[in-house]
Amino acid sequence: MAYLATHDYLEDKSFVDKWLYTMRTGEMDLSWMNAKTEKIKPRPQNARRGLTYRDLDVGSYGFTEVPEKVRDNRSYAPRGAEIPAGVPDAQPWVSRKSESWAFNTESYYEEAVSRQWNATTDIPWEHLEGVELPEATGKALSQLMTFLTEVEMIATDTPAMWLPRLSPDFIEVRAFIASQAMDEARHAEVFRKRALTTGYGLMAASPMNEMALKHLRDADSFSEMSVALHLVAEGNVLTMFRFSEYLSPTDVDKRIFRLVMQDEARHVGYGMQHFKYVLENFPEKREVLHAHLDEAENISFAGAAATEVTESFIILAGGGMKKEQIDAGIKVTTQFNLKQMSEHFERLEKCGMPERKDRSKLYQMFLMGKAAAEAQGIKI
Amino acid sequence: MALSFPSTDYFEALKGQMKAAQEKFSRLGFIDTTFAVSVGNNGKAHNYVLEFEVYELKNIDEVPTVDLKKVDFSIEGDERVWREMIENIKRNGQADTAHDINTLTHFGEQLKIVYDDPDGHDKLYRFMESIQEFFDLSSQLEVSFT
Repeated sequence: MAYLATHDYLEDKSFVDKWLYTMRTGEMDLSWMNAKTEKIKPRPQNARRGLTYRDLDVGSYGFTEVPEKVRDNRSYAPRGAEIPAGVPDAQPWVSRKSESWAFNTESYYEEAVSRQWNATTDIPWEHLEGVELPEATGKALSQLMTFLTEVEMIATDTPAMWLPRLSPDFIEVRAFIASQAMDEARHAEVFRKRALTTGYGLMAASPMNEMALKHLRDADSFSEMSVALHLVAEGNVLTMFRFSEYLSPTDVDKRIFRLVMQDEARHVGYGMQHFKYVLENFPEKREVLHAHLDEAENISFAGAAATEVTESFIILAGGGMKKEQIDAGIKVTTQFNLKQMSEHFERLEKCGMPERKDRSKLYQMFLMGKAAAEAQGIKI
Repeated sequence: MALSFPSTDYFEALKGQMKAAQEKFSRLGFIDTTFAVSVGNNGKAHNYVLEFEVYELKNIDEVPTVDLKKVDFSIEGDERVWREMIENIKRNGQADTAHDINTLTHFGEQLKIVYDDPDGHDKLYRFMESIQEFFDLSSQLEVSFT
């Protein structure tokens, strides 16, 4: 047992007597009724939308007034509640607002809740009845789904492991991160289901990509985790989902990728707004984030060497394994890789880190790759 | 009477269809985005700014030019491509795998996504299913082309 109560109540005779006395007499304490808290009556600003977290942004309950450094509340007391003596220190790791906050955090959460979907019932699985993909594309699709299941399992773990580390005063961030963990669990579910419905079973796990995914999981701070997960990894995966939707062989796959891309784009949106927020409000963090990006970009670049993923993508993109199909597949895959890089730097620049291009080795690789692609007549 | 495309009347009719399908769009979730649809013809363009809020299309404005700072993104393309998409939707009840928005815009060769802010661009993907279902409502309209 890692944590023990500060007192052995079961062996405390006066505590037991008080319990029995209360049952016998009905005598109550009622001091909680005098909690010194603010009395407000929030209303929905838009009745169609319902009562949102933004509608609760009032006085001591609101998020606007949360200070940059939360020193008062280290327990699980909800923001705005009276905090009596004796609440335990829950030892949050993240008590600086700028270390986890994003512009519009609360609306990302509301959007996440309203746009949930169900991998069991919202996908027209029955449309796969009678669909037999050729062996090469069927196996390639299953390999892609195997890889994506792997990705989504770590993407579930990573936000979830930060939940208990966040100050309870950041309730909107905690709610968003919890919704992200649910999204990623659903993605792992839908990709596993699609892999198995190809009829080819699961294919191989990806050592190179698992190294990248472990890097996401083991970040030293929330902001470093966020830039690596939300911006680098999910930015890359969002591009992959868009390409995968484009390449999808059936309407079932199209729908899967349209639904997962919605969630992924929301996570990227939160990541962008957090990145902007931390750069504006905690400027000392800029160098730390650059250093983390150095490694995140290194690992992201290494992902291209994961042949089991790259080759399956090439086969899907070309529609098969004939020479002309492979040539076409390489062209699309090159466009995809370069698009991932280009959008990554576009996002960082818009978030307030335009100097990233000057420092980043990945940006040099992007320029080199773009020139090589253009020499082959490939445009991005 | 058939609705002319492109026209404000066409988008007004889609707005009405969207309202009538509130149960479906509520199930898909909030859609909070403002984007432009630009339909080119012989070097000229008809531009419409569509403002979505909560579960519905709130406003439609025809504008002479699209100000990318005032919209999340703009979907631009020749009338020929829009027509092919709308006719495909009418034929199938929804866009087939070659005519959905992500596919048509993917390489920018048919329709093209233009934007100022990548965060705005990403809203196309955040609300993709709602946007696709919105255009698929065209299957319930009679549309004529110039």
